[in-house]
Amino acid sequence: MIDRLRRILRVARWEVARAGGGVDRRTLLAALALLLVAGGVLGGGLAVGAVGLDVDRDVYRVAVDGGSPYADAIEEAPALTPRPVNGAELGDTADLVVLDGRSQSGAVETVVVRASDTRKGEAAAAEFREAVEAHNERLMAAEENATAAFPVTVSLRYVSRTSALDEGSTLGEGDGGGGDGSGDSDGSGGSDGSAGGGSDGDTEGGTGATGSDFPGDDTTADGDGFAVPSVGGGTFGADTVGSPGSISPPFPFVSLLLAFVFLVPMNFLIQAYGSSVLDERTNRRGEPLLVTPLSPVDIVAGKTLPYVAAALLVTTLIAVAVGGGALSVIAVLPVALTFLAATFVGAMFARSFKELTFVTVGVSVLLTTYAFVPAVFTNVTPVALVSPLTLVVFDLQGEAVSVGEALFSTGPMALGAALLFGLGLGVYREEDMFTQKPVGRKLLDALAVRLSAIEDVDLSGLVDRRRLRALGSVAFLTACTIPFVFVAELLAVATLFALPVTVSIPVLLVTIAFIEEVAKSVHLYAGFERGVFARTDRVAVAVGLASAIGFFLAEKATAVVQAVGLTDLYVGRAAFGSVAGVEGLSPVVIAALLFAPLLLHGFATTVAAVGASRNRTAYALTLALATLLHAAYNFGVVSLHG
Amino acid sequence: MGDADGRPTSAGRDSRLTIAGRELAGLRAEKTILLAIAIQLFIAAFSSFLVVGLVSMYDPGALGGAEVEVAGAGDAVSDLERAASEVEGASVTRYADAGAALRAFDRNAADAVVVTDRNAEGRISAIVTAPDATVETTVIVVQLRDLLRTYELNERADRAAYLSESPLPLPERTGTSPYFTFTYTVLIPVLVFLPVFISGSLVVDSITEEIDEGTLELLRVAPVTLGEIVDGKALAAVAIAPGQALLWLLLLRANGTPVANVPSILALMTALTTLVVALAVAISALAPDRRAAQFLYSIGVLVLFGGATAMAGGPANAVARLAIDSADATTTALVVAYVGIAAIAYVGVRRLVAENGFES
Repeated sequence: MIDRLRRILRVARWEVARAGGGVDRRTLLAALALLLVAGGVLGGGLAVGAVGLDVDRDVYRVAVDGGSPYADAIEEAPALTPRPVNGAELGDTADLVVLDGRSQSGAVETVVVRASDTRKGEAAAAEFREAVEAHNERLMAAEENATAAFPVTVSLRYVSRTSALDEGSTLGEGDGGGGDGSGDSDGSGGSDGSAGGGSDGDTEGGTGATGSDFPGDDTTADGDGFAVPSVGGGTFGADTVGSPGSISPPFPFVSLLLAFVFLVPMNFLIQAYGSSVLDERTNRRGEPLLVTPLSPVDIVAGKTLPYVAAALLVTTLIAVAVGGGALSVIAVLPVALTFLAATFVGAMFARSFKELTFVTVGVSVLLTTYAFVPAVFTNVTPVALVSPLTLVVFDLQGEAVSVGEALFSTGPMALGAALLFGLGLGVYREEDMFTQKPVGRKLLDALAVRLSAIEDVDLSGLVDRRRLRALGSVAFLTACTIPFVFVAELLAVATLFALPVTVSIPVLLVTIAFIEEVAKSVHLYAGFERGVFARTDRVAVAVGLASAIGFFLAEKATAVVQAVGLTDLYVGRAAFGSVAGVEGLSPVVIAALLFAPLLLHGFATTVAAVGASRNRTAYALTLALATLLHAAYNFGVVSLHG
Repeated sequence: MGDADGRPTSAGRDSRLTIAGRELAGLRAEKTILLAIAIQLFIAAFSSFLVVGLVSMYDPGALGGAEVEVAGAGDAVSDLERAASEVEGASVTRYADAGAALRAFDRNAADAVVVTDRNAEGRISAIVTAPDATVETTVIVVQLRDLLRTYELNERADRAAYLSESPLPLPERTGTSPYFTFTYTVLIPVLVFLPVFISGSLVVDSITEEIDEGTLELLRVAPVTLGEIVDGKALAAVAIAPGQALLWLLLLRANGTPVANVPSILALMTALTTLVVALAVAISALAPDRRAAQFLYSIGVLVLFGGATAMAGGPANAVARLAIDSADATTTALVVAYVGIAAIAYVGVRRLVAENGFES
């Protein structure tokens, strides 16, 4: 063991030395210079005010009289650009025409907005209304009489329903009043509080006075007490005090942005890592290493170790910089491993650097969205925990995370990384590394490596230890696909989310059936194609059933998805329907429901396996048939559950 | 320059086309371009998922009206009721006191509690209680904000006499799709620029791979100049970009999102592709190996586009304005300027490489 560790470390040292040679000092200096130039330009731009991340700058044209007070509002809104009223034509040179009606004293009394009759006109009108609102807020902020400008002070607090009454009495106590939570003392106490601090009419004063009641972060209300509604500022669950405009919906925007920072260095890391792996494969450079007594596992572990260390180091640095703790590092580590594992597989399969580039881009896009998008829904739904990044958001918000949640979040991703490394290791051998095979054929190779031979024998011969073990390896391989099946299904749910339900549900049912059927049969096809399995119907049925049992058991083991409430979502139920809603049914029905999927999997997979044992065309046809069978079954389940 | 050695121009062009054709054939054989398009499709689909998710949290009314039931109490509750009558999707039920309102909240008869009271100097304090950490919280808070802002507007109007400058009257509220602005200002620029990065990356790979495997030396034995090799590779990379962008724009159009000024957008993105390809050629000429080259290229593109997007009139904004049909003379001038910059950059880099060769 120690010996092996020493071998791995030796490879790692060699890799570091080589990588150091690749990205030399001059490259680093050049990169640094580029970044410095960019920083300088950005800083200079910020200083003169030419920089702003307004992607929607000047997209809507508003015709307005230059003397109108609305011209100021339009000037302040980045998305709107003012046009002279004279000669403005709706739909052609302007999207909106703003005409104000003034009284004799010159004050604006009415406003008429004519929008072009398009979606753009509607959007421009809505944007204009927001601009006027923002303008008014600014006007009011400049008012001396703040009581008249901001007549309403809002104290917002979040209370969980079960303990609402307790919280109610807390409210009373805080007011210094009755403490029995009765409405009257409550109300007058509250107004006293505002009066005490609100003499200068500042929202900040209100904060000070009521602050004792509301231990949330006061800074939010202080900072932008009179600003337009912003998405930033308040983190989830923070109680806020201020004018109605300062209420920000509970959304962990800042934490989410910071969590994203953790993902950025991964993209650079996998580029270097992918290059290093593919470098071994070009011009047979990796051959000397392969003929040493080192095992492929040692070599790959050694080559990967420096990149894992780099990821750890960078993650730790970022965590320190943005105020994350150990939890952030622990949560990001599986993500980094998955990035590396997927890149490793990609680099093992790719035929050229060009192909590798696409693989790398694909990996970073897929994994970034997979990690980032669920984290957007932190605190909205427990499903967010499928991404370890959600843990980072929790950590940055200072919220407690249970061990179970941490495991649920990081476990599957770590497992996925391990499985991917296993897949890539299968082809880390001479006959695959240095050949230019298409990606599909390499994948079959990598899968076939994990199978053991099954010859055709009559039924009595099936009950033989060696053969059972071979069938076991088939079932195990199928079970290993489960994490990827779930990821693919989640992504399918997310991608089809935008479509109307009438379209998305049928498409989703077929897609999910297809994903599962492929997962159950693609390695069987690999086994037949690579000659691991004898091409007979008996073997096909045997491996098909074995694969179905493996899938069934693994799927049942992951019934934990029900526990996290994934099935609450309607689309989620379509995806994971087979594990949902068995309460209140008779035992016979439950047993039927439990074993119906097994029958389905067994039948569908056997169909696909028989096709796979013939040839590619037959496999494609039977796979389509199996998908349709499976989809029909899923449709039945969904309609049964309603 | 490539033709300085007196070879007939037609032969020069032929060899360039041959090299470009060979590059494209390589891409086709590896089917990588399909992967690239799949990635872009994924990004497009996913970003719409993201925006639907975000918008439905921020603007619940947009997705078919969530009704928020507010339990009101306190001595200023009648004004709150008046405000609620003006806000869609919010209704206030009056309770005798705050305790009763909170009890209603606790037994789920109300989504939120607002206790409003007037204080001595005529200010109103509203104590809002919202449910903690449920799926509906965001929806409820957004609706409450609408309600309270309307309330504030009404109260402010009552106090207008005390204000030195009265707020401007608001225009009518109109319905609009929240995705509209996002589609034009984020989705279309992203889809238009993705092929640009891909093309640049392809050039880096193509050149460094040839250097690495020694085939560039072989190619130089053939009767082509280094400038022609660069031309051919650049031509292939630039040629595949506008097609992908056009595909997206047509797809969006079929999907009910009209895109204006398509030729200008394609001209702009082709110019940017040329610029990025020039950057890629320069980097692969200077960097010692592929790893360093790709690293520098990523940083360079990040800097270039980060900087250009942050500047007023950056390419992303220019594409948005062209697509939404709000372009003016400045936008046209910008497109021309980008074409000019790209041409100068490419010619400059080509000359540099043709004279100095690649480092290897």
